[in-house]
Parts: sequence; structure tokens; C-alpha cells
Amino acid sequence: MRNDLELDAIIEDYLLGKLNLQETEAFEQLRRNDPTVDHKVVSHKFFMESMEMFAAQVRLKEQLNSIHAEIDVDGLASKLGPHPSRVVQLWRKHKSVIAVAASFLVLSLVSVYSIQHNTKQKEQLVLLSNQVNRAIKTQNSLIRKINNTNTSPGKPAVQNSFGGTGFAISTNGYILTNLHVINGADSLYVQNNKGESFKVKSIYTDPQNDIAILKISDKNFNHLSAIPYSIKKNTSSIGEIVYTLGYPKDDAVLGEGYVSSKNGFIGDTTQYQVSIPVNPGNSGGPLLDSNGNLVGIISGKPDQTEGAAFAIKSKYILEAMRAIPQDSLGSSKLSSTKKSLLSGLKRTKQIEKLQDYVFMIKVYN
Amino acid sequence: MNNSLKSSVPTDREVILGILNNSEDTLNKLYKAYFAMVLQFILNNNGDEDDAKDVYQEAIIILYNKIKEGNFELSSKLKTYIYSVCRRIWLKKLSQSSRKTGNINDYEDVFAVEEDVEEHEEKDLQFVKMQSALDHLGEPCKTIIQDFYIHSLSMQDICEKFGYTNTDNAKTQKYKCLQRLKKIFFQP
Repeated sequence: MRNDLELDAIIEDYLLGKLNLQETEAFEQLRRNDPTVDHKVVSHKFFMESMEMFAAQVRLKEQLNSIHAEIDVDGLASKLGPHPSRVVQLWRKHKSVIAVAASFLVLSLVSVYSIQHNTKQKEQLVLLSNQVNRAIKTQNSLIRKINNTNTSPGKPAVQNSFGGTGFAISTNGYILTNLHVINGADSLYVQNNKGESFKVKSIYTDPQNDIAILKISDKNFNHLSAIPYSIKKNTSSIGEIVYTLGYPKDDAVLGEGYVSSKNGFIGDTTQYQVSIPVNPGNSGGPLLDSNGNLVGIISGKPDQTEGAAFAIKSKYILEAMRAIPQDSLGSSKLSSTKKSLLSGLKRTKQIEKLQDYVFMIKVYN
Repeated sequence: MNNSLKSSVPTDREVILGILNNSEDTLNKLYKAYFAMVLQFILNNNGDEDDAKDVYQEAIIILYNKIKEGNFELSSKLKTYIYSVCRRIWLKKLSQSSRKTGNINDYEDVFAVEEDVEEHEEKDLQFVKMQSALDHLGEPCKTIIQDFYIHSLSMQDICEKFGYTNTDNAKTQKYKCLQRLKKIFFQP
């Protein structure tokens, strides 16, 4: 027993390298000669390694325990432990999921809202385009619908007739009006301010500019005296005072206003927008400035804007007139070179002169 | 996790370097940084504060040893690693004690750490053996051995603590104790 203890001491010192050189040699000699001693050395070495690791582990644990003691575990536990309320538990458990869901919800709400917003805008656009369609219709709808109930004997019974306005462009019976007034007509008549009707026929149509030229083919028609108005060469400025004479009803009606825009329906550069209250029947009426120069032809109105109308610019009148044989119009025709006879006259005098040259167009179909 | 704890969370790099340099401060910070997370996990999965402490310390030890061995490759955040290890350990404990293991309420991402945990368990077996050997040793041998080998007291200190007349007596006593301990330890 005593020897064993001494042997252990020597083995430990040997393993720790505490023996001096001689002792080490002597001990190694003993190890080689005695397998029991050698076994003891090996097992002691293994044990000491285990012990060392164990010691390290225990020391670490002690360290951790001391750190642990600094933590307020109860406080944390009450905060983090399962909450009596199920809602809070759920909230804790799915905090991140809920956060994601919430942000997704917000995102989708925003996108839905913006999509709705977009669709709303689109709807408005559609509506507008509807209005556009309607406006195109109304453009053509300044034709007056006349319910011709009292059919005169000798004339065929006419169910539908439309009316518009036209004006003379030559003394020998050429009359200019809107194409949409006479479109689809079976027969055409014009009526002057004295109530005389003359049969006319269509000579020229310009679908592009909505212009038609008619010719009075009636024997009873007497040549007119010189055309009092002339054509304005320049484009009119915004604000220029203009007026029109037309037949929205059976008597001529004066409409006065000003040029409100240099372009017409949705930016149509062939037209002006004028601020004159017009009604069905005004289509084809002459638009004159205060000096009696022809500025344009009333052709339509927007259905949404009250008191506005569109007028085809006067240069297209000239274009239309050039399109028909020049000599047919005779020597006394509408031109842009002559000075207007209406110039300098009072409005009432102008109208007095003008009304002989403005006709009601009667369309039967 | 309260803010004072959160604010002192060390970066993963700091932790690894600190542990390699035996920095107690780093260990302290590391321990405090993630305890709340594990506590929450254990408390919400049929455990109590003591379970949390055991599991968490085991995880920290695993991490610590792995870093010390020098082959720790950080393939995820330390937080995820610790959480995964704790989760693994706790699942094992739950199944061993046949407590309810149905649905585990997870609070963090999980990372495969089975190997690390098993390696640790093997080592732990040795430690358990050593611990039980020490427990069987009885006083005063147990304390002498612990003082000398674990707390690295000198023979002089031990001599004074246990009232031996000289260090040789103490040494003899220590060797006697060690011999008995070895015998118990190597018992099959």
C-alpha cells in the first residue's frame, strides 16, 4: 500500500515532468521492465486527462452559474412565460407571422386602393370617350327635326324632315351648308326669309370638312343682288366678336358671341370654338365678324359645354368653292378680295342685308 | 428581452475571439445575450426556469468547447446555433421524460446540430462517470480532490484547510483519495 502510494506520486511527478533527468531515466527503465507499472502510468495518464476535462467543465459551469445568478430569471420568466391570456400567447408565438400578415394586408389594401383609383380614372376616361361619341353625334345634330304633320296636297306625304341653315356664295343660286345637314336626303329645298321655297340639288360635298354646296335649280328663283359679305382671309383671334344668323326655328334667329378658342372639337384645327348659344337648325349658318367678313360656318356644338359651338374655318369655304367649276358660280360670287358691303354698318342694318342671303335648308327623307 | 440585455449583445466574431482568449467578459455577455430567448422557448414548451438554465448552459458549453477545439465554422448566426442546440437538447429531454412533445413552439430559425449535440453527450457520459465517482468517494477525499484538481489549490492551502500537520501528510492523503477515486472510476 505504501509502495503503491509512492508509485502514484512518482507517476504523477513523471507525467507532470517534475522528475529530474536521472529519476526519469530510472523510472522509464522500471516502466519497460514492469508491465504493471507501465499499465499504471497509462491508466493514470488517461484518468488525469479525464479529470482535467472534467475540471474544465466544472469550472465553466461554475462560471456560467455565477453569470446566471446575475440574471433576473423570475422577471424574464414572468415576461416570457406562457401568458394566461390565449391572445397574448398567440401574439407572442406568431409575432413575426402577424407582422408579415399585417404588412401584406396594408400593402394589398394600398394596391387595391390604387387599383380602384386607377379604375375610377379609367371609368372617367370611358365616360369621357362616351361623351366624345355623343359629342360627335351632337356635332351632327344641329339639324332641326321638323315634324311635318300637315302635308300639302300635291306633294308626297313626308314623314321625316330635317332643317338646317345655308347661305349664298354666289348671286346665281349657289348655297353652302354643312354636309351633315343634307346627308341622306331624298330631296332638298331651301326657303328664304320671305317664305319662298326652291328646290335645290347637291353639287359638291366635302366629307372631310363637313361642307356641301347646293345649287338652286328652281325656275322661279331670281338672281340675288351682289353678295354683301366677303371671306375673312386671316384666322380670327380669340375674343373677336362674331355673330350668326340661322334657322333653329321657322324664323331667322341671330346669335352673337365671340371666338373662344382657335381650335374646335377636341383640338380640331379646321374649326373654331365660338361662344354662341346655338340650337339644332343652326348648322350651316354663316359666322360673321362685326365687319361682315365670313369667319366660318356653324357646324356643331359640344354637348357638355353650355353656350359653345364649333364653326368650320372660312378658308375651307374657299377650298370648297375652288373645287367646283369656277365659271358656274358666275361673275358675282363670294370672294375674299372684295370689301364687305356690311362693313361699317350697324348690326341691325347688317342683319337686314344679310337675311336675304341666308336660307333655311329643308331636308326630306 | 429587455433593452439593457439586448444592447450588450456581442457580435459573433467578438464571441469567438473572446472565448479563444478566455475572456470572462465575453462569456458573460454571450450568456446574457441569448438566455431570454432560450428561457422563452423552454417556458413555452413545458419546461421551467431550471430546465432553461440546464439546457442553456449545456448549449453554451457545447459552443464553448467547439470554439476551443478550433474547428467551429460559423455557418449561421450564433443566435440560431444556440437556439438550435437548445431545441435539440430540450426535445431529447422531453422525449426521455416522455413529456408531451407534440407541437414545439418555435421562436427562431432552426439549424441542424444533431452531430454537435451527440458528440457532447458522449463526452458528458465521461463527466457523469467522473462526477458519480467523486460522489462515491465521500468526504474529505472529494473536497481534497476537487480543491486540488478542479480549483487548483496548492498542497499548502489544502494542508491548512484540512488541518494536516504537514504537507506530506496532506499529499499522502491526496494520493490515497486519488487511488480510491481511480478504482471507482475504472470500475466497469
